[in-house]
Amino acid sequence: MKQSTQKHKSSLFKQEVTLVVDDSLNRLKGKVLAPRKLEAANKALSKLKVVLPK
Amino acid sequence: MKYEVYDELRTTDDYSIFEFESIGLNGNIPKRIEFTPTMVSGVYNLAFGDIDENDEIDDYNISNNGDRNKILATIAFAVDIYLNKYPDRWVYFRGSTQERTRLYRMAIAINLEELELKFQLFAEQKDDMVPFQKNIEVMGIIVKKK
Repeated sequence: MKQSTQKHKSSLFKQEVTLVVDDSLNRLKGKVLAPRKLEAANKALSKLKVVLPK
Repeated sequence: MKYEVYDELRTTDDYSIFEFESIGLNGNIPKRIEFTPTMVSGVYNLAFGDIDENDEIDDYNISNNGDRNKILATIAFAVDIYLNKYPDRWVYFRGSTQERTRLYRMAIAINLEELELKFQLFAEQKDDMVPFQKNIEVMGIIVKKK
């Protein structure tokens, strides 16, 4: 299982976080892991009349 | 912002999924964040919750682990990382319940001045998106890097 580690510091939080890019997590890429949540989001977004600014 | 975050996150190489462990009163509970494209071009839905028996996100479960603020801060950290990588994308999120949406609204309102330095923030209201302001009812929130 390949992993690579990065350190991230956010300008919002005064804390450094270790980000582990994990190959075993990559197997989930492209799958919808919260289908009902996405359906609800799409329903809400379809009703919006406003175009978001670029 | 002065909040503590969980300091180790696992992620995919495209930052579309993050995982971390909530550590608290009820032990260690794995948590997952997912960013998924929606039907609106450039808008990505944020889902967060426990990992259920189908390896999907359960955003209804209440873990009661005593680390709510730390979890919210960690989610915000993940959103920050994601939008730094994809500055042209919008991230949309709402709570699985009205109470949770209200919690997210309050968390943003408390930190609004600092967040507005970095992000564009809009609030979803019935059929419209309006610039986020304190003390307005929202149904969802959408955010993008400035």
